[in-house]
Amino acid sequence: MSAVVHAHPQSGPVLGVADTGKPNRSLSDAGLRGRWWRFALILAITAVVLVPIMVTVVLAFTPGPTSTATGFTLENFGSVFSETLASTWLQNSLITTLSTVVVAVAVAAPAGYVLSRGRSKAVSGYSLLLFVMQSLPIITSVVPLFILFAGMGLVDNLMGLTIIYVGSTMTVATWMMAAYFDSIPISLEEASWIDGCSVFGSFTKVVLRNSLPGVLSTAIFAFLLAWNDYLVAIVFLRSTEIFTLPMGVQSFFQQNQTDWTSVMALAVIMMLPPIIVFAALNKYFSVGGIGGSLAGR
Amino acid sequence: MALTTAQTGLSRARRGVAPGGPGKPANRKSKLSSQTRKTFFWLLLPSVILLVLIHGYPLVYAGVQATHDGSLIETGEFVGLENFANVLASDAFWKAARFTLLFTIVGVFGSWLLGLGLALLLRTKIPAGGLFKVLLLLPWVVPIVVSSTAWNWLVGTPDSLVPGMFRNLGLGTPLFLADPTLAAITVMVFKVWISFPFMMMMTSAALASVDTTVYEAASMDGASRWQQFSQITLPLIARSTYISWILMTIFCVNDFPTIYLLTGGGPVDATTSLVVLAYRTVFQDFQTGPGVAIAFLMTITLVVVSVILYRQIRKSSVE
Amino acid sequence: MTIKSSVTSTAFSRRGFLGFAAAAASAPLLAACGGGSASQSGGGSGVIKFWDMPWATPAYNDAAKKIAEGYAPASGNLKASYQTIQWNNFYQTFSSAIASKTGPAVSTGGGFQAFQFEQQGQIAYADKVVEELKKNGMYDDFLPGVLDPFKSDKGYVAVPWQLDMRVFWYRKSLFEKAGVALPTDWPTLLEAGKALKKIGAFGFTTGSGAGNNYGNHSMIMMMVNNGGGVFNKDGELDVMNDRNVEAIEFVSELVSNGIVDPAAVSYTTDNMSAQWKDKKAGFGLFQVNVPQRVGDTSGDLLVADPITGPHGDKATIVFPNNIMMYTNTPSQASSEAFLVAYLGQLKQLWQQKLMSALPVFKSITELPEFANDPNNVKIVKEWQPIAKTFASQGNTLNANLAVLDGGQALNQFTQTILTGKTDAKSALQTFQSGLQSVLKK
Repeated sequence: MSAVVHAHPQSGPVLGVADTGKPNRSLSDAGLRGRWWRFALILAITAVVLVPIMVTVVLAFTPGPTSTATGFTLENFGSVFSETLASTWLQNSLITTLSTVVVAVAVAAPAGYVLSRGRSKAVSGYSLLLFVMQSLPIITSVVPLFILFAGMGLVDNLMGLTIIYVGSTMTVATWMMAAYFDSIPISLEEASWIDGCSVFGSFTKVVLRNSLPGVLSTAIFAFLLAWNDYLVAIVFLRSTEIFTLPMGVQSFFQQNQTDWTSVMALAVIMMLPPIIVFAALNKYFSVGGIGGSLAGR
Repeated sequence: MALTTAQTGLSRARRGVAPGGPGKPANRKSKLSSQTRKTFFWLLLPSVILLVLIHGYPLVYAGVQATHDGSLIETGEFVGLENFANVLASDAFWKAARFTLLFTIVGVFGSWLLGLGLALLLRTKIPAGGLFKVLLLLPWVVPIVVSSTAWNWLVGTPDSLVPGMFRNLGLGTPLFLADPTLAAITVMVFKVWISFPFMMMMTSAALASVDTTVYEAASMDGASRWQQFSQITLPLIARSTYISWILMTIFCVNDFPTIYLLTGGGPVDATTSLVVLAYRTVFQDFQTGPGVAIAFLMTITLVVVSVILYRQIRKSSVE
Repeated sequence: MTIKSSVTSTAFSRRGFLGFAAAAASAPLLAACGGGSASQSGGGSGVIKFWDMPWATPAYNDAAKKIAEGYAPASGNLKASYQTIQWNNFYQTFSSAIASKTGPAVSTGGGFQAFQFEQQGQIAYADKVVEELKKNGMYDDFLPGVLDPFKSDKGYVAVPWQLDMRVFWYRKSLFEKAGVALPTDWPTLLEAGKALKKIGAFGFTTGSGAGNNYGNHSMIMMMVNNGGGVFNKDGELDVMNDRNVEAIEFVSELVSNGIVDPAAVSYTTDNMSAQWKDKKAGFGLFQVNVPQRVGDTSGDLLVADPITGPHGDKATIVFPNNIMMYTNTPSQASSEAFLVAYLGQLKQLWQQKLMSALPVFKSITELPEFANDPNNVKIVKEWQPIAKTFASQGNTLNANLAVLDGGQALNQFTQTILTGKTDAKSALQTFQSGLQSVLKK
């Protein structure tokens, strides 16, 4: 793998591989040249990978079939916002997704803590159960879930949708949290117990407080699942005014034709929030989590 | 992203997990009082309720459907394991099973290799590295209804961009979605394209927790870069790797929209996976019992495969 | 939003979910087979719930919504509400709604959906609606033969409201360029195809990719055009008849001569529309209103004459889309009154040029907004009279047609023929056994 060969040491985040034998020449010509080679390589890969996305973006800025505009235009975005409920859908998606993220973490973190610290057969059995039960594909679960939720008045309603998203992210999220908690030494909690903290107190005050990267990873996983889902939404949501964005995209697919420019404009709008989230949280992922602060455990 | 330091992940279930590593479980015994148990119970309860509700109930319901000859609306008559027997005797099931296996293997390892390569590349100092990191996540972020359409535009007809490029290079005009073999390859490439960002984030996070000092020692011992990679880096991120494999296996086996939106399972079921077959059997042939039975068999297989990988993780953590 | 307030504290995860769990536990495990609790029945708040599909552009649904919500019932009857249901996974949406007693009282939907739900005892027969239509004169306004297929032993399962026709279209300029006459029978169809191929166009445009049923329809159409079809006069499965074999052998000949696009097997409906728009498609089976659909209203795209099969048969296929009523309604009398009134207002949809299907009423076909398009007139005059349903030689519709229409057997058969790797007879044989295993006897 050429990536390995070109790997380069630096003082910040840890490398996959050190630049063998030449630690002192890291800023030399050779090092710089390697740096530009890697830049060219990643630029090429990124360009190829993004072709399908560029198609989407270009079309979002292309005038629609009934438009008089030429060249680059913003009117698709204008018409999506003025003629459809796109702003409502955006709001619904944000509410549903953020609620999912908050509740999923609120459910998964305590459960993950128990899986990490508990030492009984029951706990390990539960860990396996979490895994087994979520293996049934969603397409066979949607109908029974709808019938169940309809009995509780939770269909065509964002609350019901959120509960399902929390349920479907919760299993993997619990594992993710447990895996993270494993990396936090018990000694920290023991110290707090001696200070008179309860188990719950030390969980919230000591463990959670040190788990920001783990929480963020879990949150992003939940975010993307809830943000992009349409298989559940399409059965659970009916009223246009409570559609989420993927449902909004679906609504441009008619019996005989599809309004592609509107689809693409809405798709570009859909891409923005995750991009913002990733860009904002980027540094938390690159610092390598808790590793540094707890070195020497 | 995901599973940042996800190293110990699944092994906990088998080990019963000692906090702070396997070395010092004894310290905790005293604290596991009835009070602690009670706290644990309350901490676990919300997830138990959700598990029963969102996963348990549909599972039981599916079990009922799979053993009856009803429809989505009526339960119908109990037929025992007849649906399972019929499904297992059908060629379509085994053909879909073979495709699912191939799709999963290519999906998991293809996305892992690409994700690993990019993660290694992105760990180094590169101009605008942060920007690339975000840009490379896009395939995972774009809604599949949209990306499948974009892919159709790129490869769907003989006049599309990619076949046109092949033609200009004198390589003929490949029909990427119309030829059964090429269609199978195309959906797998599409799946890898969607999935590699997840693998990239998983691997990036795992690499971040690797202590640099080990490389310094190794390079002093004169280890080559390949040796460092294969003998230090890979083993150090092994557990995280296994976890990402398991998760991606689930994502691939259970994947419905990727295949369904790009090829619909065709041509002539060349790209019909078990989920697509289950979906078409239930919602297009209206054979609820057999369709759900397919989903059930798939789930059982998935669990078995995962438990094998699970063991692998445990082994890797013992080493 | 309710969600927001309930997720703010950890109390949510305990109390909230405990209450939730109690509710879950009290719900019967299989609400579906228990037959519905009284509290949920019907539209709940005393409204006739009407569900409609995105049959055309969003403007269509806006107009239909206006009609439904503008309906002023006679005293004692309920008003109506309007809801658009997405096509994607619609059968799942209807099934789960009906199973949980939250479904509509009246709806449009898939072409054979009414028969499927009738089989499951969910459909309210429309005999009283038909009686009412006889009284107000609309019954006699139906185009010939459109209502009959809906009559079952127990009554009218649904009432048709539009005809989704399959007709041959052609691009005039391509035929001129190729210097070939329009086909009138199968040999001339083959000749025209060969001539079109020389100028880089296709003489039998179709598609069978993700979500595209036109390829399936082309196959059945050619069978019916030869006096064959999937079902015989008595409604029995009859795939292996000589006429079908002959028809499919002919289609295979078209495929092997390159008259069908080699990539057609993977074409979505959008790919197909693009072929028409980009002047790659010279001739082929499509719907009503193709020029608007593909975005070429230059007058170059025209409806062709029906083609005569080798034994003198002339036929095409039609999907009579219909409106159905459900047993789960707050008031059956209100459902019926609404349906009658709604049918009476359908002309508005054609007046506003929102539809890409034929109307079922003669009076609408005579409206200037419809009759000004010569393509429409030709379809009504020459194609509608020879149109047969998916039941082929059979006269009535049934639930098995839904399995045929959207099911795997026909789709695989079509794709097998379009890839051209299997001979007609063995492909038909596989098709027949595939259908046999999924059809209800």
